[in-house]
Amino acid sequence: MNEKEFGYRIRQALNEAAAGLDYKTTYRLEQARAAALARHRGPAASPAWNPALQTAGSADGGSRLGWFGSFGLAAPIVALIVGFIGIYQWQQQQLPERMSDLAAMDFAVLMDETPIGAYADKGFGIVLRGETEDL
Amino acid sequence: MASRQELSDFLAGVERRAFKQAQYAVRDSDAALDIVQDAMMKLSEKYSDRPASELPLLFTRILQNATYDFFRRQKVRSTWVTLFSALSPGHEDDNSDPLETLEAMAGSPAAESAQDQVERSQVVAIIEEEVARLPTRQREAFLMRYWEDMDVAETAAVMGCSEGSVKTHCSRATHALARALKARGIQL
Repeated sequence: MNEKEFGYRIRQALNEAAAGLDYKTTYRLEQARAAALARHRGPAASPAWNPALQTAGSADGGSRLGWFGSFGLAAPIVALIVGFIGIYQWQQQQLPERMSDLAAMDFAVLMDETPIGAYADKGFGIVLRGETEDL
Repeated sequence: MASRQELSDFLAGVERRAFKQAQYAVRDSDAALDIVQDAMMKLSEKYSDRPASELPLLFTRILQNATYDFFRRQKVRSTWVTLFSALSPGHEDDNSDPLETLEAMAGSPAAESAQDQVERSQVVAIIEEEVARLPTRQREAFLMRYWEDMDVAETAAVMGCSEGSVKTHCSRATHALARALKARGIQL
């Protein structure tokens, strides 16, 4: 007997064994099949685009759309963070200029370029305080 | 794309063989049922967009992977279970020996046709036992070739080996089976 013929006879025996499965087993197999078919994604059950029902990464087809959805949500947050960083950087750049202005005024005062009588003048004091507050 | 009806027909046609193959591998009916259910669900969930003609190969591959996953999980679990092995109940693997049933019925006044039926079921059970005893790769190759009707190339693709290896596995399985069955007094 060659290998093919032997295989065929074994196959007959195995088919007989498979056909003689008990009710409990066949019932569970039926249930398993029903559960599997319940997860079948037919053509009608896969709309091209439906954001209201979109769940990110729920299935193969949905995962790509879900990624775009996540990106759409994340984009404004990223833009906000970038904006905050820009404002902070701008303030950091402005700070040395203000400091140098204050330093120049202090320098001028210290160098006594302002007449001593000016400090006794009320108006000068008001102007000086006003400028300082403005700064 | 396979329709729901095509998938249903395919699963109905293959489920018993799939269960038996899983059972030969894991030697546990409940575990085999779980494996088949896992494989069915994966096929339905992940590959329902594939054409119906691809389903047999895909399902065989998924079933094979599900069986390997079972062994991996079992290996991890056994590291814990061995600690409590003394408390566990005895194994039930050998409780389904058909020879016991046959001997019990041999003394009964059964009709001749019934006796033939029992003898045939005995032979079938012994063949199943010996198929289950084959080394894993040999059994997979043999069943795919001669039970699933796959050709050598398809079997090689599913098993992830060369066609030459498939032929070798099949040949060894055939010889081992023939030898084992002959030793148990069964001549095919």
